[in-house]
Order: sequence, then structure tokens, then C-alpha cells
Amino acid sequence: MENTLLFAVLAPVIGAFSLPLIGFYSAKIRNVFAFVFVLLSLIASAILLRPVLAGETVTFFGSGVLGLDLILSADALGVFMALASTLIGLIIIGYSFGYIQQDSNENEYYFWVVLFLGVMVGLVYSLNLVFIYLFWEISAVACWRLIGFYREPQIILKADKAFLITVFGALAMLLGFVILFNDYGSFDLRALQGMVAPNLAVLLIMFGIFSKSATLPFHTWLPDAGVAPSPVTALLHAAVLVKIGVFVFARLFVGNLVMEPIWGQILPIVIAISTIVAGGAALVENDLKRIIAYSTISQLAFIFLGLFMKSRMAVAGGLLYILTHGLAKAGLFLCAGIVEHNLQTKDIRQMGGLVKTMPVTAISFAFCALSVMGIPPLAGFFSKYMVIAGAVEGGNLFLAGIFILSAFLTVLYLIRVFAKVFLGEPKGPAIKEGTIGMIWAVAILAGLSLLGGFLIRYPNEFIQIAVRQMVGIE
Amino acid sequence: MVLAFIFVPLLGAAIMPIMRKFWVKGSTLVTIAVTIFMLVGSFLNIHREVVSKSSISFNQSLLGEKLMLSIDGLSAVVLMVIALVTLATIVFSAGVPIGRRSGFNALVLLAVTGMNGLTMATDIFSIYVFIEIVSISSFILIVYNMDDVGTESSFKYIVLSAVATVFLLVGIATLFAITGDVSFRGMAAGLRSNAPLAQFGLGFILFALALKAGLMPFHGWLPDAYTGAPVSVSILLAGVVTKVTGVYTLMRIIIAVFGFSDSFSSLVMILGSISMTLAAFMAMGQQDFKRMLAFSSISQVGYILMSFATGTSIGLIGAVFHFFNHAVFKSLLFLNAGAVETATGVRKLDDLGGLAAKMPVTGITSIIGSLSAAGVPPLAGFWSKLLIIIALWSSGYRFYAFLAIFTSVVTLAYLLYMQRQVFFGKVRQGLEGVKEVSPLLYGPAVLMALLAVAGGLFYPMVIRTLNALSSLLIK
Repeated sequence: MENTLLFAVLAPVIGAFSLPLIGFYSAKIRNVFAFVFVLLSLIASAILLRPVLAGETVTFFGSGVLGLDLILSADALGVFMALASTLIGLIIIGYSFGYIQQDSNENEYYFWVVLFLGVMVGLVYSLNLVFIYLFWEISAVACWRLIGFYREPQIILKADKAFLITVFGALAMLLGFVILFNDYGSFDLRALQGMVAPNLAVLLIMFGIFSKSATLPFHTWLPDAGVAPSPVTALLHAAVLVKIGVFVFARLFVGNLVMEPIWGQILPIVIAISTIVAGGAALVENDLKRIIAYSTISQLAFIFLGLFMKSRMAVAGGLLYILTHGLAKAGLFLCAGIVEHNLQTKDIRQMGGLVKTMPVTAISFAFCALSVMGIPPLAGFFSKYMVIAGAVEGGNLFLAGIFILSAFLTVLYLIRVFAKVFLGEPKGPAIKEGTIGMIWAVAILAGLSLLGGFLIRYPNEFIQIAVRQMVGIE
Repeated sequence: MVLAFIFVPLLGAAIMPIMRKFWVKGSTLVTIAVTIFMLVGSFLNIHREVVSKSSISFNQSLLGEKLMLSIDGLSAVVLMVIALVTLATIVFSAGVPIGRRSGFNALVLLAVTGMNGLTMATDIFSIYVFIEIVSISSFILIVYNMDDVGTESSFKYIVLSAVATVFLLVGIATLFAITGDVSFRGMAAGLRSNAPLAQFGLGFILFALALKAGLMPFHGWLPDAYTGAPVSVSILLAGVVTKVTGVYTLMRIIIAVFGFSDSFSSLVMILGSISMTLAAFMAMGQQDFKRMLAFSSISQVGYILMSFATGTSIGLIGAVFHFFNHAVFKSLLFLNAGAVETATGVRKLDDLGGLAAKMPVTGITSIIGSLSAAGVPPLAGFWSKLLIIIALWSSGYRFYAFLAIFTSVVTLAYLLYMQRQVFFGKVRQGLEGVKEVSPLLYGPAVLMALLAVAGGLFYPMVIRTLNALSSLLIK
């Protein structure tokens, strides 16, 4: 089982390096291999489900030096995140076959995407703080190269900006880790269990978490990152990469390290401001991808809200939110990608009436949007309900009120986008639907958002196991 | 073995004028053979020291007891770095046109002789002599192209080096006056009772070595020298010459003679942090590829010295690891700069663009070099920077730890700027015809890039080796 765990990480990481070589020979074979490497990782994580459901934790220990050991551990939280990430990653890679076609940097594209998914899996299984940082930074490098995919000067400037902001946060976080190491003598999270994190360390680590998960005031890189190809935006900036921040928060502070009570007052204020401001920005923005990016910032705050609350329901809601939002938001970005790809514009004022010519995209967009809004019976409803109910349960009525307002804003801007893009009169020449692979990808994501609502029991039960492992049985 | 490190390169330098007469190409081959010999020899040294786990300093005396050389853990690593960077320099220079090639090789070997001697010296007067050998060879190497810029920068270096020499001699004289001895052991024994005057001597020596290392208030000559010199010389200067004459010598004198004191640590912390932070900011404003790298070099010396000044064993490991890493990634970046200059004839960042598409090997290796320099995992530069930050924080220099973190962001910022202007992006107009340079030019870069990756992936082995080597140094 340890080998399965290691394989889940190494298959995509090592496989990624073979992709450019295969790509010189044949693009088709390379694409297949890119898909297979991630699929192998998904299967390996799925095999790990069995011991996890039996209540066991599989751990791999690679001895290092000075406490810098590679510790991978497949607990319920890790397996949940790995499955969610690789599943969404697979769908997005399938979509990329149609989207990334005529570009000269294809080899590099698949290299970074598969490598990114590999380090993501490594990160979610990692129990050593330094390795969390290590995987975190590799993902930032992937983000940098992928945002700059189109190589225009303005685009590269934005790629550099995203890289610098997240590295700034990550380095602050690293210093926070060093403080913990200095105080408690270990980078191993199992040894830090129940320790009180010094305030300075918490502050520095939160810099990192907020910068990666694009929370005010470190959010500005995320809307700018929309210049990347749409599958990249979906993968990195909606579904997987931005979840690293919330995930690390869950790993570190939910049931592991203990924060001083004062943080229970400060952090909710930050995310409340973040969700409202980003929701407002999404309401006035005219660039299709920027709207969805602002929406991501706004929704990430909901996940944080769930994790900040002490109650089990809220934490479970927060984790569930990672999955439901990942599926739905990836769907939105991929739909936006189809629209942008075929229309050659991102300005929603130049769009309209697309429901007639792109029915599948329009319907998929609608379902994903409904899921992000939190309309029952879609999957997004349950997570949003659990988070807000958890906040109410914890007595934070005012906070819950702000987030309900934010949920209301979500409904407004998504309806606005849908109406402007897909309803009304067509403004340009008639355009076609996307390629088969692209349509399938968005349809699957929309289907999962819908199906997830009816079958919410299964992920939820699994998350309950994760929460029990994290906060203990109450 | 010890003497071989001095006499083999010296002999190599001596036969260069003869080789010029009948086989010029062979002079490069001989030089490469000498460097490979040193590289293998230094690996064997390191291996032997790690296995035997004790200070095997094999002493050999020459002329009675006057000259004693020894190789301990620190010098073993430095010897390896010298051989490695020299190899890169020679291979690269074989691929670019240089007039009077055998003379060039002779000077490089002479500088290497000086550096090797310096690394193994056990008395302070030998250190002075070897520093002078290195400096004089570098003066000529910098001006080897006989152009105006080279002449100016070499002259600047000569003048400031003369100042450093005077200060170094005054420092040595002071210490000799106090202790009546020039060997490290004799001086360390004699210094115990005479604190104030000894501090005076240390002050002079510190000043001289800060000038040699190009620390921030004394850095005026360094960017000019690196920029004015031919590219292959810049690699040698940035990779080893300033690091060995300045940084290594300082480490050696502190470890062997003075020991760590609070006043020394705080002084070096201040100098180091000024260099680290300000030089990083100055690198950000540079338009010349090599000049940016020169400022980056000053900045990284700050890291090494700050880590060393903590006086802890983890700090020393961090410093030596970063010394090695810096030699690797900085010579890598200079190799990239040289390749770009050879291929395009341009060094101005604004006039370049999108070269990664035209020069894939240079482009990829430059990304590895930049990321290792910025301390991005999993490359080697990350682990040394992590050790440095742990050392700074755990020994109470918390403000400096913050500065080190902050400077890492600035470092990444200027290297990203360089990447954006030179490699990443659309091919600039007028550069469509650019082709990748010859394997002689990018071969060393590939080697260095592989080392940066391997050092990062096999960090437990590297850190364990360095730990075994350095545990003998600090009591």
C-alpha cells in the first residue's frame, strides 16, 4: 500500500518528464500518455480508498536529514483531495485535446499540466511542512509557465505577477514553518499535533494561504491570470491550484495546530470583506473570464468560512465545497473557454443569443452556474447550506448574514452573465459549437454537478470520515 | 596529493608557452585534463574525509616547517568548486574566439594555482601570497580582450585591490606583532590575552576581505569587472575568484584564528544584510545582462556570510552549501549570458526577447539557474536557503531572517524580469535568425543545470556530507 501511495505521486511527476520527448515523436501519443499518467494516479488514490474506509492510514516515510523527511500519508482528507483534483484534472486534460491544438508550445503545456497534478497529489498527501512548501512552490512554477503560455509581453507580465505574489506569500509561510520548527523541533505535522502555533507563525502562514487561495488583499493575481488558456484557468485558477490554500489551512489548523482565540475574530473579518468585495467586482466586470475569476475569490471565502468554524458540520461543508465548487467552476471556465475560443473575444457586451448556436455549452453553463449559486438540488446547494448552517450553529449570525448576502450577489452576477452571453439577440456572426471533446468535458462537469446533488450522500459520508479523523469524535 | 593541487596547475601554466609554439589546440586539452584531474582528486578527498569521519588534514612541509598545507572538510568542498567552475570556464572559452589562447589558459591555470594554494594554506602569510597570485592573474584576464571597458574595469580592480592588499598587510603585521607567529595555530594560541589590538587587526583583515569579496560598501569594482571581462572570465570571477579570495579566506581566518564573537557576528550580519538587500534592488534596475548577474552575485555573498556569521553548525553547513550552489547557478547564468551574447551580439536586456524558442537548451538551463538562484524548490538553491533561514532564526537573528526572506522575493523579481526580457515571450524583431550556440558553449551549462537539479533531489546526501565535513570545524 505504501508503494501505491508513492505511485500516486510519482506516476504523473516522473511521467510528465517523458511527455515532451514523446511529443517530438507524435502529438497524439503524447496526449494519450498525459491522460494515462493522471488516470494512473487517480486509480492509485482510488485503491487507497479501501484502507481509508476501513479506518486505516497508509504512510510512506522517506528518511531525509535534519527533519527534512518525505512523509506521505493517505488519510481521508488527503485521499478526498487527491481524488477530487485528479478527477477534475482528467476532465480538463480531455478538454485540452480540442483546445490546445495550433500552438507551438504544446509539449510544454502537457508537461506542466501533468507535473502540476502530480505535485498536487504530493501536496495533499504530504505531512512534512517543508514538503508541503516544496510541492506548493512547484505548483507556482507551473502556474507561471502556464499563464504565460501565449508569450505576449502583457501576458508574461501577468504571469510574473501571479508568480511573485504567490511566492511572496509562500516564503512568508516558509518562515512561519521555520518558526514552528524552531519552537517545537519538528517539521512533521504528527509531532506538532495539538501544539499552540505562535501568533507570528500563524500570521506568516496565513499570508501564504491567502495569497495562494486568492483572498483579499492578495487576490489581484487571480483575475489577471485569466489571460491563460481556458483549460489552464479552469485547472489552476478555479478548480485545483487555488484550493491548495484552503487545503493547507485544513491540514494545519483544523484539528492539528492550535491557534490563539484572537484569530477566530480576525480571520472571518478578512474573508467576509473578501467575499463581498469580490462578489461586487464580479457584478460590474465585463470580461467573461474575469467575472468567473472574481466569483472564485468570492466562493473561496465560503470554504474558509466552513473551515474557520469549529463545528463539524461547517468543516464538512467546507471540504464538500472544495469538490462541488471545483466541478462547477471548472465547468464554467471551460464553457467560457469554448465561447472565447469560437468568438475570439472575452467581452460579454459583444455576446448574446449563443443558446441557439451552442445549446450544449449553454445548458452546461446553466447547470454549473446553478451549482455555484447553491440552488437545490444541485451539489453546490448542500455545501453552501452546510457552511452557512455551521456558521449559524456557531452563533455567528452576523457573519452568516454577510455570506448570505454574498450568496445573493453570486446569484445576481451569474444570472447577469448567463443572460448577456447566452440569451437575447445574437450580436455577431453565427458561430459553431465547440469540438466534441470540449463539449463532452463541459457536459460531464455539468452532469457531475447535477448528479452530485442527488448522490451527495457518498462524498458526504466520506467527508464525515475525514472530519472525524481531523477533529476527533465529539 | 596536497602538493599536486598546486603543482599540477602550475606545471600546466608553465608548459603553455611551449605549447603555443607547436600545438595551440592542445593547450586547451591540457588545461581540461588538469581541471578534470583536480575534480577527481577533490572528489576523492571528500570521499576520504567523509568515510574516515575525522580531520584528515594531510600535512606536508616544504622548506622545513615554513610552508604547511592541509585539506580539511571546508577546503575539500572549495577545491571541488574551483575545479568545477574552471572546467566550465575552459570548455566554454574553447567555443568562443580568444586571441593568444595558450596565454589565456596559462593565466586561468595560474589563478587556479593561487586559489588552490589559498584554500589549503595554514598560515596567514601564505594566504596573502596566494591572494596576490590570484589577483594578478585576474587583472590580466579581465583585460584579455584589450578593449576600453576591460582596461577601465581592470584598472579599477587593480587600484582597489592595492588598497585591500595594504589593509591586509597591516592586519597581518598587527597580528604578527601581537603573537609573533603567522601560522593559524600559533596565532590562535597567542591571541587569547590581547583582545583590543587583535580586534584592530581583525578589523583591517575584514576590510580587505570585504573588498575582495565585493561586499556592499566596497563593491564598486565588482560589477565593472564582471561586465568588462570576457564572458569566460566572468564565469571564473563570479563563480570562484571573488568567493575564494574574499569569502572563503574570511571563513578560514575566523574559524582557525579568531573564533566567533558577538562583535564579529553583528558586524558581518550588518555588512552581509546590506549587500544582500541593496544589491538585489540594484540588480533589479540593470539593463546589462552581465551587470545584473554581478549585482546578484554581491547579493548572494551576503547570504553566505550571514549564514556563516551565525556561528552555528547548521549556519556553516548552509553557508558552504550555498557557496557550492552559488558557484553552480551563477556560473550557469553567466554561461547563459555568454551564450546569448555569442549568438546575438547583444547584452542589453531590452534588445533581446523570446530567445527560448530559438535557443531551447540555453532557455531551459537559464530557467533552472534562475529558479535555483531564487531558492525555488526542489532545486539545490532552495535547500541552502532553507538552512540559512533556519540558522538565522534559531540563533536569534530574526530581523535578518525576515530580510533574507524578503530579498528572496526581490531576487525572484529581477530574475523573472531577466527571463521576461530575454527568454520568455515572443521572438523580438531582428532576432529571428538566431540559432542555438555550439555544444561547447551550452555543454557546461547543461552540466551545471544537472548539478542544480541533482543537488536539490539528493539533498539528504549533500547535507549529510557537508555535515560530516563541517562537524570537524566548529567546536
